[in-house]
Amino acid sequence: MSGAEPRLGAVAYRPRVVTIWERFRTYFADAGVPTDYILFSNYERLVEAVLDGTVEIGWNTNTAYMALDHRAGGHTRILGMRDVDRDWATVLVTRKGQLPDSVSELSGRVLALGSRDSGHAAILPLHYLAEEGLDVASCRLLRFDTDIGKHGDTGDSELHVVRAVADGEADAGALSAAYFSAFRAESVPAVAHLEVAWRSPPYYHCNFTVLDSLDREVSERWSQALLAMDYDDPSLRPAMELEGVRRWYPGDREGYASLQTAMREQALLS
Amino acid sequence: MTVDRRQAAHRVDAEHLELGGGLEVLLAAAFERVAPGGVLEIRTPSRAVALELPGWARLAGHEPIDQISRADGYVVAIRRGTSARILAGPLSPRRTPPPLRDGELHTADWRGGGLPPEPDPRAGFAPLRAVPETGAPTRHWPLSRRDAIWADDVGELVDQASAQQWDASRDIPWEAADGLDDTTERAVAQVMTFLAQNEYAALYVPAGFLPQVNPQLVELVLWLGSHVHDEARHIEVFTKRSLAGGHHGYALASTELSLSTLLDGHDFTASSLLLNALGEGTFLDLLRFIEIHAPDAATAAAARLAHRDERRHVHFGISNIKRTVAIEPDSVGPLVAAAEARAAKLISLSGFSPVLVEALTIMAARSMIYPTPPRTSAG
Repeated sequence: MSGAEPRLGAVAYRPRVVTIWERFRTYFADAGVPTDYILFSNYERLVEAVLDGTVEIGWNTNTAYMALDHRAGGHTRILGMRDVDRDWATVLVTRKGQLPDSVSELSGRVLALGSRDSGHAAILPLHYLAEEGLDVASCRLLRFDTDIGKHGDTGDSELHVVRAVADGEADAGALSAAYFSAFRAESVPAVAHLEVAWRSPPYYHCNFTVLDSLDREVSERWSQALLAMDYDDPSLRPAMELEGVRRWYPGDREGYASLQTAMREQALLS
Repeated sequence: MTVDRRQAAHRVDAEHLELGGGLEVLLAAAFERVAPGGVLEIRTPSRAVALELPGWARLAGHEPIDQISRADGYVVAIRRGTSARILAGPLSPRRTPPPLRDGELHTADWRGGGLPPEPDPRAGFAPLRAVPETGAPTRHWPLSRRDAIWADDVGELVDQASAQQWDASRDIPWEAADGLDDTTERAVAQVMTFLAQNEYAALYVPAGFLPQVNPQLVELVLWLGSHVHDEARHIEVFTKRSLAGGHHGYALASTELSLSTLLDGHDFTASSLLLNALGEGTFLDLLRFIEIHAPDAATAAAARLAHRDERRHVHFGISNIKRTVAIEPDSVGPLVAAAEARAAKLISLSGFSPVLVEALTIMAARSMIYPTPPRTSAG
């Protein structure tokens, strides 16, 4: 690490990531914790960059965090997460009027899933739905692996999921509650034909991860600056809106247990 | 988690409304009554709606905190987010609306109070009485100082401009324009060409000032908008009159040169003097002459209608100059200097083009034949 200025790695899942981090970069400089950012095209590369010291802070999806923490032998710390990351959830959608009484009724049917590296649109749905009594092995999985490496950040694979269900290609589809609500708010035509059949328990989503070896004084000052970001500051609001955060919270590991289990079950942690 | 029933002082029954089908509007209105951090209970008979509401709540900046299933449906509790939805102070309480005059709401009456000398440049395009949200991009408005550009009766002039609109396609008896002899029609075409050429300058000058005016001085924005619109119609009507008789005129270089000096001015009040008061003031006489001596009803109507507009423009110019001079006596010197500079430039030109003077003469005479003086009998 160069001096006391942490470098942050993020994945450029959309052009707006530049807008967000250009604004946050000046915010951290003004807050006395100058932070530069480096963009990566995929989370696997970002995880490598945190491990090899190219960047000190990784803005990780839950799946990337799990991979990083596993590779680091559990020696990671979470510096913060968004309000929305604290109660992320997956929903299962079906066509209107075909709401099953329980998800087990969908055994043997066609289930649409988002990108296979997405925690919320593929990995956790399979885990939770099995817990709910769905015979996953009997289902035909219709996977939309359209944004591999982005861990579902783009929402593109989830758009395919809702279209597949609306068009009758799938009987049900799994996606994040956040994207389903966003599609609804944007009046995505397919969503008008769908309703929510099931909602998962809440789990954690993204977080800022560092290795335990990072100087604690640096990481604590950075975390304090992050948590002090004010959504009611008009100069910050546009960037925070783009990032989908109204308030930052300190993070913990509590909400990642289900994903860790799911990734182990699906042999995704190596 | 179970909500403390005392927290949930607000309840709303979604009945059969769904998200995507109007429920969002009902919920937004319901949350308006809930203090930040307060809890709203939403009742719905639909399991699908109950399952979807937490996602909606997060997107709207609220916190889903509880969901219970009952015999008659579902209750979802949502805590209102603490962030301000709009970064602005509260809207002012309902106030007495502006007075009406015989049922009409006049621009001169809508402000109902003083105009700030230096309107807030950050307010941007916020309409009168609207509360601007902070955080919007700000622009520099070069014409932001009320006393540099205002006229006390600008509101009345805006209303007059609206009331006296006319249609250059329909309000002119165009059929009357066809049928003059070649000589007279050629003269009319030359006069109309000269007028239209001048009206371009009369449009471009106020149009140049318009985007510089702070939008909070809205009456002035409306005034300049009407001025530009008037001049557009004048260009239209004089061009049409030139075309309607089949002959065409010359767009003279000397006219173009004279007008270019108007376009070079950048001071608002100096422009009021040179364009509105002096330039359009001269046009009042010219248009009246054309109306009186027009050889056809179409030419007379075009001149008469344009004259009515120009009178308004001259009025604004004089009103603006009088106010400026009264408030800032030091402005007299620069105004006189601007007038003298323009006069000096006009003198350096070859003078009023004989081509125009000849055309006006022939148009007014309607003939090239010297009238035979009436015979007088010897006494």
